[in-house]
Amino acid sequence: MACLERASPALKRILLKLYRENKSIEIDHHLYEFGSVEYHIQSSTSDAHYTYLSVSTPLLSQGFILPNGISHYTKQMVKGICPDVVEIMEPAKEGYQITLRLDLSKIPNGKDSIKVIADISAVQAVILSSQLKEMLMNVSSQDTFQGMYKTIKLVYHPREPFFIVRQPQKILAVFPIRFKDKTDVIIATAFFQELMDVGSSEKWAKAPPCCWSPIPPPELRGEPFEDLSTNGGFVSFDISSRHVKGKRLDKTVWSLLNFYAYVKYHVKSTRSFIQRRMRNRLQRLVEVLHKRSTQEEEKEEEEEGNHKVQGCMFMRKRINVSKPKILKRRYNDLSGKIKRIRSRIKIQGFGRFRRRWLKMPKFSSSMRYTKLD
Amino acid sequence: MSNTLRLYLTCIRNTLDAAMCLQNFPCQEVERHNKPEVELKTSSELLLNPVLICRNEAEKCLIETSINSLRISLKVKQADELENILTKKFLRFLSMRAEAFQVLRRKPVQGYDISFLVTNYHCEEMQKHKLIDFIVQFMEDIDKEISELKMSVNTRGRLVATEFLKQFM
Repeated sequence: MACLERASPALKRILLKLYRENKSIEIDHHLYEFGSVEYHIQSSTSDAHYTYLSVSTPLLSQGFILPNGISHYTKQMVKGICPDVVEIMEPAKEGYQITLRLDLSKIPNGKDSIKVIADISAVQAVILSSQLKEMLMNVSSQDTFQGMYKTIKLVYHPREPFFIVRQPQKILAVFPIRFKDKTDVIIATAFFQELMDVGSSEKWAKAPPCCWSPIPPPELRGEPFEDLSTNGGFVSFDISSRHVKGKRLDKTVWSLLNFYAYVKYHVKSTRSFIQRRMRNRLQRLVEVLHKRSTQEEEKEEEEEGNHKVQGCMFMRKRINVSKPKILKRRYNDLSGKIKRIRSRIKIQGFGRFRRRWLKMPKFSSSMRYTKLD
Repeated sequence: MSNTLRLYLTCIRNTLDAAMCLQNFPCQEVERHNKPEVELKTSSELLLNPVLICRNEAEKCLIETSINSLRISLKVKQADELENILTKKFLRFLSMRAEAFQVLRRKPVQGYDISFLVTNYHCEEMQKHKLIDFIVQFMEDIDKEISELKMSVNTRGRLVATEFLKQFM
């Protein structure tokens, strides 16, 4: 959930490194982050006391662009992070909205140091939040036109604009929802329905009422068609005065700015959850198939084993004879084997064949005489 | 298990029991080839009448039989869009891993969500009654898994919604 954190993790790490090194080090880093945010951090040995941090972030609304990029209120908010440490440079470095001169040696020691560095790392969040806060404060009743209040289009990410409508008793924040994939739309829609259900329960009566509708709310009438064409419908929050009082204003503004990121993160996690669960289920289904075959084998083995035991018992009964008899039988077996080894090879019927066909003729010798009858 | 589901599954079990009388039968068209006749459908005399068992319009089972093979196609209920995508995702996931099941077809028959192809060789290797048990249990598990998945997705959504609203309190 890196994009939902206020402090930039990379910037925080570099600033901590600079703070922990007592001597100054040569650093010239460009950092690029989600939402077209760019940081340039510079530290040199020639200027040992100061570190320069320049920030470039897309402005929330095109209607509120000032000649020097950032309003006075925003500058005050940035300076308020830690007035001893942070100083705003005029003019800002070319290509950046704001350039800060940081005196890290003035950061208090102990646990507070990490908190201060985290606050400085969240400078982009401060710029964005203060822009939205300023808009909410500046929109006055003079902006009404024929009873309709002016709608402010905010662009936190180029493809994800949202609208703020100031009404007499409340502020309406409308988020058009777009997703590329149909699955994402359905998961997000299920989430919005749950959000509506939870928001309407008594326990959450103090939370801003939430409403999801597939068609744009009437307050957005007159807005460009491309902004109103969605596949995920429109989510609107009714922000009342109690949600923007004191410390709550900061939380409310940050929640609204990050609503898209929150929904997208939920959709992505749900998809991975479904995938993980399907994989487990597949294993279990396959196990069922294999278990059957292993169970069968085990049964067969058991059955075979049982037969063997029975056979052994049977044999024991048969073998249960006197020792002299056993010795005599063994002697007979052995003598039979010896005879078989010594005897000539016998072929069935060969004797008859030899007598008939291989019989040598008897010749009468002249030396011998025959007895006359 | 609900009574209607039990009846539906019993009907499928009995039909499969009757239909799964497969024997080795070489191809009549190509010499020394042995192909599942239910897929080729080259000789009508080798095919039996297909049986369609419907629980309702959304849930049905088609059993096509031939002399050496049997094809079972299932249509799983999809009550809403969430169930629809969950069913599609899950059955596609299983079809892509069909080799793990041996009898699962990689592509379902048109109009159905998932198909099995059982040949006489499968029957010889795995035994008929075990195969029938597996298919019936598979049907039960799919229904159960999809309803559980839907519940989990909604529960996750509720928890995430609660966490989001907490930020305003």
